Amino acid sequence: MERRGLDYVVLNQGYVSVNGRVIEHEATGNALLTELYRNHIADWPKFFKMDTLSKAGFVASELLLKETGERRLDGEEFTSGCAIVLFGATASLCADRNYQETIRDKDNYYPSPALFVYTLPNIVTGEIAIRNHWRGETSFYVLEAPDAVQMAFHLACAFQNKTTESILAGWVDSSRNDDFQAFMTVIRREDAADTDWLAGQLKQMINILNNK
Amino acid sequence: MEEMILKLKQEIIEVLNLEDIKPEDIDNDAPLFGEGLGLDSIDALELIVLMEKNYGIKLQDPAKGKEIFKSINVMADYIQKNRTR
Repeated sequence: MERRGLDYVVLNQGYVSVNGRVIEHEATGNALLTELYRNHIADWPKFFKMDTLSKAGFVASELLLKETGERRLDGEEFTSGCAIVLFGATASLCADRNYQETIRDKDNYYPSPALFVYTLPNIVTGEIAIRNHWRGETSFYVLEAPDAVQMAFHLACAFQNKTTESILAGWVDSSRNDDFQAFMTVIRREDAADTDWLAGQLKQMINILNNK
Repeated sequence: MEEMILKLKQEIIEVLNLEDIKPEDIDNDAPLFGEGLGLDSIDALELIVLMEKNYGIKLQDPAKGKEIFKSINVMADYIQKNRTR
């Protein structure tokens, strides 16, 4: 029997799909993220404070987790079984530039704490973990470009600890405030045991992202 | 004072990205932190920067923010008394 493919979300400044199903929208660029938030999420005002990298990762995770019905907790409940491992090329460079603008002019030198907190790429993993009350591993790897084989290798490694049951994984990148690309999927231990199969699945998602 | 309170609310909404909140939604006596607007510690730092940038007030002791940011009325009153621009 053929193995069922992984659930996935693909998102860039002009295209959104969940498991290949296109999500209709009107806006593009950063406004698209706000439109998706308002139409599909709407209960997490902290979204408006995030940088573009975190907004893209957060929206992609929300669309995906609604589709998969993954364990999402609130109140006093937490789980260490759910990990988040993301990859990107530009890391936090866009947030770095935004922050730099606030300290560039010595006569107008007002460092913004709200911009500074996003000058680390792994903040996006924290935003998703906080939202879902996940306390498993969170990592953000920097790669030159999406590489299915390398990503599959790192994801398989992340299952070496015994507590991880599933990993929210994918690519999230933002080189400018109005520019972002992401794909995201949920991987379980059995998926990562066959790294060739996993790399093949990731490769398909990368191809969709690159062609949109 | 009323004009200043409105301006301050608009500045807070802008600087803290309180996208879905309008000036009239902010109660002048409600606490800005915890309940009320539900602001966090990073927001407190942004408010300190706002006071320095827009009103020339340099808060030497950040712990003082706890008193100053008690409500819009308290904050506006402090600004009125200490502003240098």
